[in-house]
Amino acid sequence: MAARSLALRLVVGAGVWIAAALLAGGIALSTLFHDTVERSFDARLEVLLESLVAVAELDAQGQPQLSRSVGEPRFDQPYSGWYWEIAEDGKPLLRSRSLWDQELTMSDETAMTEAFRHDVVGPDNQPLRLVERQITLPGSTHRLRFGVAGETREIEAAVHSFNKTLAWSLGLLGVGLLVALLIQIRFGLQPLRRIRQSIVAVRTGRAQRLEGEFPVEIEPLSNELNVLIEHNAAVLERARTQVSNLAHALKTPLSVLTNESNAAEGPLAETVKRQTASMRQQIDHYLARARTAAAARVLGVRTEADAVAEDLRRTLERIHVDRQIRIEARVPAGLAFRGERQDLEEMLGNLADNACKWAKSRVVIAARREGSHIQFIVDDDGPGLPAAQRDAVFHRGKRLDESVPGSGHGLAIVREIAELYGGSVSLGDAPNGGLRAMLSLPATDAD
Amino acid sequence: MRILVVEDDPDLARQLKAAFSAASYTVDLAKDGEEGHFLGDTEPYDAVVLDLGLPVMDGVTVLKRWRRDGRTMPVLILTARDRWSEKVAGFDAGADDYVTKPFQMEEVLARIRALIRRASGHASAELECGGLRIDSASGRVTVDGVQVKLTAQEFRLLDYLMHHKGKIVSRTELTEHIYDQDFDRESNTIEVFVGRLRKKLGANYIATVRGLGYRLAPPGEGE
Repeated sequence: MAARSLALRLVVGAGVWIAAALLAGGIALSTLFHDTVERSFDARLEVLLESLVAVAELDAQGQPQLSRSVGEPRFDQPYSGWYWEIAEDGKPLLRSRSLWDQELTMSDETAMTEAFRHDVVGPDNQPLRLVERQITLPGSTHRLRFGVAGETREIEAAVHSFNKTLAWSLGLLGVGLLVALLIQIRFGLQPLRRIRQSIVAVRTGRAQRLEGEFPVEIEPLSNELNVLIEHNAAVLERARTQVSNLAHALKTPLSVLTNESNAAEGPLAETVKRQTASMRQQIDHYLARARTAAAARVLGVRTEADAVAEDLRRTLERIHVDRQIRIEARVPAGLAFRGERQDLEEMLGNLADNACKWAKSRVVIAARREGSHIQFIVDDDGPGLPAAQRDAVFHRGKRLDESVPGSGHGLAIVREIAELYGGSVSLGDAPNGGLRAMLSLPATDAD
Repeated sequence: MRILVVEDDPDLARQLKAAFSAASYTVDLAKDGEEGHFLGDTEPYDAVVLDLGLPVMDGVTVLKRWRRDGRTMPVLILTARDRWSEKVAGFDAGADDYVTKPFQMEEVLARIRALIRRASGHASAELECGGLRIDSASGRVTVDGVQVKLTAQEFRLLDYLMHHKGKIVSRTELTEHIYDQDFDRESNTIEVFVGRLRKKLGANYIATVRGLGYRLAPPGEGE
């Protein structure tokens, strides 16, 4: 799960990079600082060496002696870590008080033209930095070796304290960068969250397509999704058109055959009559199936319920104009069915048409929202239907009264489409004695 | 009564024409939308049977153009398109009734009769005028309870006059509603038929309004 997180990939990637960069930077800085501190230490030692040379002179016996103090009090404290020594051929002739009875480990280098630096171990195992030089004092032919040493713990201490500060600040910088990175990722991935919300809106039927402006990197994705949604709708539409064309193509010849056989007499006419009736049923059955099978799969559709109810009311009043049925559509605006308009028309139309066939004078189409569903109610003031027979009318080809025109498929189709959408249809008693049909269908999310 | 049938399937068109003719209607056939539109636009029909899936011009378009141009004759749509959206579109285009294929011929006949009756403001299938009664559905004509045998042409003439009872109907109007488009309009056979009808119905049901036409009314009224 975590391995599939885009944010985690970005954090890990950038984190590794930041850590490597900070580490390299820290090492470089620390090395640079160490060198600088060491160079300035060496410079100090050299200054002290020059001072030592300057104050050194030969006494009457030709032995070296100091005309005055070198000016560094630590040379006088025993084992202070700061020492000087003047030697000839490896034998110390004169040394600082701090050396006490010890001597410095001078190098064996003979041909020394300038200052020579190296690390040695002094008294008390002190790590020392030793600078030495061969000098011939005026009025003498002896080549004397002057050496000044200082304890390098000072360098280490300075570098250590610097490293500590450096580690702290670099660590802080790293954390700061990571926080900035997280904020950036959150901000940078914001459009992804937006596109997700858009897709949810399409799926739940609040929108027909992905809406809104997206960054150039994501826009192709949203465009492709929109094309896909449109393609999906187009395929469905094409399938429906072809089903409709097939219906037209088959039903006209079927009408001709039916009429011809009705007009004629004899065994052939009887056979044709029977077979065309069977064909008609088969065609109705399979066309209805093909239509409903295509439904409920398309994304991003919503159908305003009040517009459909009003269309049906207007049309049904004209269909039943002779019987003077008053039809009322009481569907509040803003209720939307999450599905195809044609399907809602088919379901509500069949229920309302059935109600009109049985009604004495009045049919009411109402709807209200119930949780995630819309509950449609179609009431008539006709004779109603005993509870025992209510289930039977939803079966294909069942007609309880052959005297009322209809194919007997209407209510079965309503149930098939409703169930395909995860809805349901049932019958009950209308308040004024007639039949009540209740149709429950998924609503789009309230905006 | 003169009916226009707009249907592109020749067999079905033939059957419809035969059925309507047998029920004493005069029938014109149009085999595509354009021809249908032209006929409906120029000839006075008492009703139209209109298919929707037509060559050249779709039935809904034909109907919309008629209504736009003020043609108010009743139109029954006879189509294989049985979805509610298509019914809504048909009625919104101005249809008066809608029958889906496959259909029973008797149902179409009954609905056309009802449309014509409604268009002329009559509520019942049986029309009467004094002692004269005519049943458009069965073609039965009685005078004071006694059945009168009429030829198809005589029935059409009487049927039209009954639907326009009390109104003056011109000779041209009668010709247009009783004969199909191929009839030679110059001949004056209307007068001959009116003469025969007067003889069969007795009394003065049909009055001649000089220079204007004929008027059907109960005898002794409005003379």
